[in-house]
Amino acid sequence: MARLSIEHLRKVYGEFTAVDDCSIDIADGEFLVLLGPSGCGKTTTLRMVAGFIQPTAGKITIGERDVTTLPPWKRNCGLVFQSYALFPHMTVAENVAFGLEMRKIAPADRAPRVTEALRLVRLTGLDERYPRQLSGGQQQRVALARALAIEPDVLLLDEPLSNLDAKLRQEVRVEIRDLQRKLGLTTIMVTHDQEEALTMADRLVVMEKGMVRQIGTQRELYEKPADRFVAGFIGRSAFLDGAMAEAGRFRSGGGLDISCKATASGPATLALRPERLAIGADAEACANRFPARVEHVSYLGALLDIDVRLTEQDRILLQVPNRPGAAEPKPGDMITIGWAEDAGLVYPREAKA
Amino acid sequence: MSIAPEPVAGARTNLAGMLVVPATIFVAIGLIGPVAILFRYSLNQFVPGQFMVDGLTIENYVKFFTDGFYLNVLWRTVRVAVICTIICLIMGFPLAYVLARTESRFKNLLIMLVVLPLFVGNAVRAAGWMTAFGSKGALNASLMGLGVIDQPLEIMFTETAVIIGIIAVNLPFMVLTLQSVIEGINRNVEEAAFSLGAGPAAMFRRVLWPLAMPGILAGTILTFILAMNAYATPVLLGGPKFQTMGPLVYGQFAQQNNWPFGGAISFILMTATLLLTIAANLIVQRRYR
Ligand SMILES: Nc1ncnc2c1ncn2[C@@H]1O[C@H](COP(=O)(O)OP(=O)(O)OP(=O)(O)O)[C@@H](O)[C@H]1O
Ligand SMILES: [Mg+2]
Repeated sequence: MARLSIEHLRKVYGEFTAVDDCSIDIADGEFLVLLGPSGCGKTTTLRMVAGFIQPTAGKITIGERDVTTLPPWKRNCGLVFQSYALFPHMTVAENVAFGLEMRKIAPADRAPRVTEALRLVRLTGLDERYPRQLSGGQQQRVALARALAIEPDVLLLDEPLSNLDAKLRQEVRVEIRDLQRKLGLTTIMVTHDQEEALTMADRLVVMEKGMVRQIGTQRELYEKPADRFVAGFIGRSAFLDGAMAEAGRFRSGGGLDISCKATASGPATLALRPERLAIGADAEACANRFPARVEHVSYLGALLDIDVRLTEQDRILLQVPNRPGAAEPKPGDMITIGWAEDAGLVYPREAKA
Repeated sequence: MSIAPEPVAGARTNLAGMLVVPATIFVAIGLIGPVAILFRYSLNQFVPGQFMVDGLTIENYVKFFTDGFYLNVLWRTVRVAVICTIICLIMGFPLAYVLARTESRFKNLLIMLVVLPLFVGNAVRAAGWMTAFGSKGALNASLMGLGVIDQPLEIMFTETAVIIGIIAVNLPFMVLTLQSVIEGINRNVEEAAFSLGAGPAAMFRRVLWPLAMPGILAGTILTFILAMNAYATPVLLGGPKFQTMGPLVYGQFAQQNNWPFGGAISFILMTATLLLTIAANLIVQRRYR
């Protein structure tokens, strides 16, 4: 295992910049997840680490080795593909032994390592099967065992679970995570499933349009999103467009004066987490209190999602617990909503017409 | 319609069975019929002046296998076909790989370029080669003009000319067959091999070659059969002294009017092609399965 460092990595295709100035440091044994919308450059970044794409600029270091210009077969990265990419003409055991064979390890010494790798992924006894005789979940485990057998410096996973059904995905998620901890594997996983990212990662990297928006733990990303994009991408946020009237005072487009903990000035967006908003009696103690008209209510069992309109231009979503006995707001009702001064996060905004 | 509902799988089999009927009839009438007739003719006697006398004799086969000239023609044909097939495979594989893996916008154009030679008929193409290879042809003229050589190269009417000509005809078949099979191999599988420590040579040997084997078999069988039976190319580029089996058969039928012997040669050519193909298949399958 080893630490991995990516410095100012860039990939340009003709006019198009797929990855732009990406710098990430991954500690030994850390599980890092690359998260972002489709086309943001996650796969491109991962494939540059694996050595399949030559970066336009930047540096990749695994352990003490600068691998930027090394071909994939000299990098010792364990790779698991979304399509698993097992060798269809080899048995499970041959698939897992392949990396060892390439490392010129004698057949007699390969066997115990193959058995061990298959035991780790709980696939004992299927050695002689061919990939086509396995279920999707089993193929996925073979792919993992094959990558683990070479004792890679880093493990790279590109959406490894997206071909599995929901229930299996949950199981395999936990298994991969446990295995990664147990073996202390430095791991990068790519996904666009937020729940998967949040449950598995030590730290997450949020990317958008080829750029790293924020790197941090789940809590950091949720509590202190670095920008409007992260605030909207990790969890949900309601946004009010407006401008800072003065330090600590935000004026929404609809003319609401909102007190907040921000010192910025100029056009800005206020982001609010739906569950940090209170209604009715709970709102009484809040620094910000406004009357609002209920537009839509979604019943989610334990929770209620309520769309409210504060002014013609200001709409927000709030989420409240569904308490027994409490009157459930109905569309058209006027209610009071409120939130604490520090619940609203302010991001500067490009002034638009 | 039967009254009892049929199991779906059974119904499918029946339908599939019916769908192969037209092809089966076509093959039976168009191929097996003539072959059977040829075989029957080959057992007849040839009496000059009387054309063909019904009989049941193996003298035509005996004549072929006891005459050094005919054996030589057979050996030469097999040798040329094997050489052409091997060269087609060696040259065709890289080309097919590039065609299969390219992400270029011009991929279709490239494929068209590979197929283009097939738009020109065999005879026309061979005539083209003649003008290029002849002692006063383009190649010799330019080499001599440049002072590289002072005697014209003897390419026309040699085995080399025939081999070059047949390769030019067969290469597109090899390339297209391989290309379609390589396209079906998931790129990620090659990448997986790389990431596991296999360099390009090891990846090729352990992954690409075995996975492309169906295409390699199909391509080599196709080019081998075409090369064994080549007619226009050996006639035009090999000249009268460079006999191969295809022209030999034609000569017996059209010029000598010796149908029984022509039938026997046809049958020997067909059997040799079939046996060599099967033998090669068996060897390859034993190694790679
Ligand atoms: N070979 C290429 N030539 C040109 N553009 C490319 C090439 N490969 C990728 N791109 C572009 O680079 C961007 C990033 O692609 P990438 O595959 O890294 O996205 P991703 O984040 O993995 O998305 P997804 O979640 O959909 O897999 C995309 O907009 C894509 O169109
Ligand atoms: Mg991707």
